[in-house]
Amino acid sequence: MKEDTAKLSRRNFLKEGTILATGVAAAAALPAYDGLLFAAEAPGAKGKWYGIGIDINKCIGCGKCANACKEENNVPKDPFYFRSWVEQYTIKKDGEILVESPNGGINGFKQSVPDADIYKSFFVPKMCNHCAKSPCTQVCPVGATFETDEGIVLVDPNYCIGCRYCVQACPYGCRYIHPEKGTVDKCTLCFHRLKQGYQPACFEICPTEARVFGDLNDPGSKLNYFLKNHNCMVIKPHLNTGSKLNYNALTPEVR
Amino acid sequence: MPQHLKRLIGVFVIFILFFLVMRQVLRPKSFGELGHFRADAIYENTLRPMHYAVADSCTKCHKDIRSDKDLGFHAKLKCEVCHGPALKHATFANKFKNKQLPDSLVLYKPGERKDCAVCHQRNAARIKITFDTINTTMIHQVDIMKHHPVDPKTNAALKCIDCHNPHQP
Repeated sequence: MKEDTAKLSRRNFLKEGTILATGVAAAAALPAYDGLLFAAEAPGAKGKWYGIGIDINKCIGCGKCANACKEENNVPKDPFYFRSWVEQYTIKKDGEILVESPNGGINGFKQSVPDADIYKSFFVPKMCNHCAKSPCTQVCPVGATFETDEGIVLVDPNYCIGCRYCVQACPYGCRYIHPEKGTVDKCTLCFHRLKQGYQPACFEICPTEARVFGDLNDPGSKLNYFLKNHNCMVIKPHLNTGSKLNYNALTPEVR
Repeated sequence: MPQHLKRLIGVFVIFILFFLVMRQVLRPKSFGELGHFRADAIYENTLRPMHYAVADSCTKCHKDIRSDKDLGFHAKLKCEVCHGPALKHATFANKFKNKQLPDSLVLYKPGERKDCAVCHQRNAARIKITFDTINTTMIHQVDIMKHHPVDPKTNAALKCIDCHNPHQP
């Protein structure tokens, strides 16, 4: 009983109260953190900060991007190793959602549901989101994957131990283990092309210009024009990955 | 200080020294310069060879096809969309102007029905007529296997390119 009264003394009450009030005041003074806006702004806002825009309305599902990626980056030709691929979403009138990606869309798509049963159908090209707060780089135990200053997530194949932890961590399924090297492999946004001043292969090749690539820090870039004129959204925004792959006409069915 | 503690401290010092020496030996050179990774890996990632040339490199030589293509629906298409990666082809042609191209560098000439079907096969997801003019993408679509499969006169199987010029469809 004595100890309890000692704890509740006026002195202790005032002391703890002051500490609590100061803490609350200090936290309130910090700038509010906006998770969604983070992706559009570089942490340092210096130099280039690459982002991607994809217009689902324009994609015709030819799979040329998936093919170009495999040719450019020597990705194994098996139908389960992809850095970039296309999915066809079909939403039936009874509410069932069908997702198909035969060989990543490289050989084209065949409509598997008759027109009469389809509520709507569209193609979604997928690739690495080059997240600003990428879950895959955070889990790497050896430091073999990292984000560059330009916002590109790269892999160091000479240092990777092939533990597959990052493959598990990526919420977009954009990593795979290279069957010959035994190390992880992913989209580098064609880093070797960028450094020579060219666009990544999939952006270069897209026949309908559904893919837009550019610098988010440059207000005059093609990508910023695209973002201004379309209602864009990232996949799985609730995970707060800071994804920089913005889709126009993205629907909640896409995951 | 008790004797056994002194020994234990000695063991710890040896262990820490061993750790520091091994760390210096085993750690890659540029590790930690920019973060928890090898800074050299950024440079190493740029060393891979390119395969896709840029759009202008084809039309330096193939001027006739360009003037053809500019008039048709395929005007905006880049050559490599259908013909595949062409950087080696273009570099060889630029280097040895009069030499014959080796067979390995001759580009793929798509002409089969399946090649055209990749874009032109009828698909519910491909019909894109929206009221927003920016988004309008109209692609000619046919059921590629039922669209004039045989020549009505000779009964021979027809390819798409027998009737349509792929450069100016």
